[in-house]
Amino acid sequence: MNGVNERLNAIIGEFADLDGREKLELLLDYAAGLPPLPPEYQARKGAEDRRVHECQTPVFLWPEVTDGTARLTAEVAPEAPTVKGFVAILADAVNGRPVAEAATLPDDMLERMGLADVLGILRSRGLRAILARIKRELAGTTPA
Amino acid sequence: MPDYAHPNVLVSTAWVVDHLSDPQVRIVESDEDRALYTQGHIPGAVEIDWQVDLQNQVVRDYIDRAAFEKLCAERGISNDTTVVFYGDKNNWWACYAFWVFKLYGHKDCRVMDGGRKRWELDGRAWSNDRVSYPHAHYKASEQDNSIRALRDEVLKHQRAGKQLLDVRSPEEYRGERMHMPDYPNEGAIRGGHIPGANNVPWPMNCNEDGTFKSAKELEKIYIRELKMKRRSPTIAYCRIGERSSLTWFVLTYLLGFGNVKNYDGSWLEWGNCVGVPIVKGAAPSHPNT
Repeated sequence: MNGVNERLNAIIGEFADLDGREKLELLLDYAAGLPPLPPEYQARKGAEDRRVHECQTPVFLWPEVTDGTARLTAEVAPEAPTVKGFVAILADAVNGRPVAEAATLPDDMLERMGLADVLGILRSRGLRAILARIKRELAGTTPA
Repeated sequence: MPDYAHPNVLVSTAWVVDHLSDPQVRIVESDEDRALYTQGHIPGAVEIDWQVDLQNQVVRDYIDRAAFEKLCAERGISNDTTVVFYGDKNNWWACYAFWVFKLYGHKDCRVMDGGRKRWELDGRAWSNDRVSYPHAHYKASEQDNSIRALRDEVLKHQRAGKQLLDVRSPEEYRGERMHMPDYPNEGAIRGGHIPGANNVPWPMNCNEDGTFKSAKELEKIYIRELKMKRRSPTIAYCRIGERSSLTWFVLTYLLGFGNVKNYDGSWLEWGNCVGVPIVKGAAPSHPNT
């Protein structure tokens, strides 16, 4: 049974060995794998509190907990493939896992993936903000 | 594009297609999201990233002259190359890169009007080939201080009541949006704007398709409504000097303003300085000043 960090460590390891260009290509592969927003969430996009204001491109996140299990649903505009790929990786790691594990998502994952240098200081900060928000909201969600 | 003051700096997507194999021309993409270049770029275009390539990674500043020379040489750009910039987001970062090239004195810089969006709308092909060119020789000039304003100069300029433009969103200008949750090191301590600055949010320069507005429309905004004078010294700023590079480009090349500087320290510096004047609210200045 793979926990959040086993899954994530595998992904981090996959990135760590690549050159800068290949890292971005792999990120694009993940971005392409982010499922489209389910229709029941489409209607709730107007709820502005789901929008991540720190991001300059529209990013909507729904970190949710059902019976102690985490699920991250998200929509990221196609013009922001970096954010989209990063969110897809996080969704892949936490979905279906016990919510307590989500709190252990490593804060230094961008450095370990070698993405921090490829993306630069400001973009990395933006992605860390997304990671922090997902962790905080999953931890604070009252189990349904 | 006949009505602009310097129409030659703007090229169309068709012009770019005609020059794809022109050894005299180098196409350069600069994006907010650099994975866009990886996903697909104009065939033969090289990437110059505003964060990783153009900014000094230690000091808060642009790369120095030697690093700029190396960057150009590695991209196969010589002093006499025609460099055409394009990118996402209304060419916002393309204008930023253009400005840095002018800072180091590159002669022939152009912008592809409409950027990635227009290229896509025109149904033109993308390539995801890895692009490289033989190294070129490049000799950069000293920084051109006629287009860059540093803090002390901005303070003098402000005190003298000269033309200032704040190109951020109205919320940032009024000082309502400044706390950015989860951005502990990127916010400014104080919100508002530099006294006397008019607010023209940068997207007002552009059309829906990413192209620049016509000379007539731009004149209406800056000359007719704000009564700005082409010959008066002007300083533009935003949060970190990125959005204001686009406004600097518009004023200088499309409207023919003679003396425009970009204050790249921008609000992230001003809003953290001790003792500099700040105005909150929608009016450019306090009513009693």
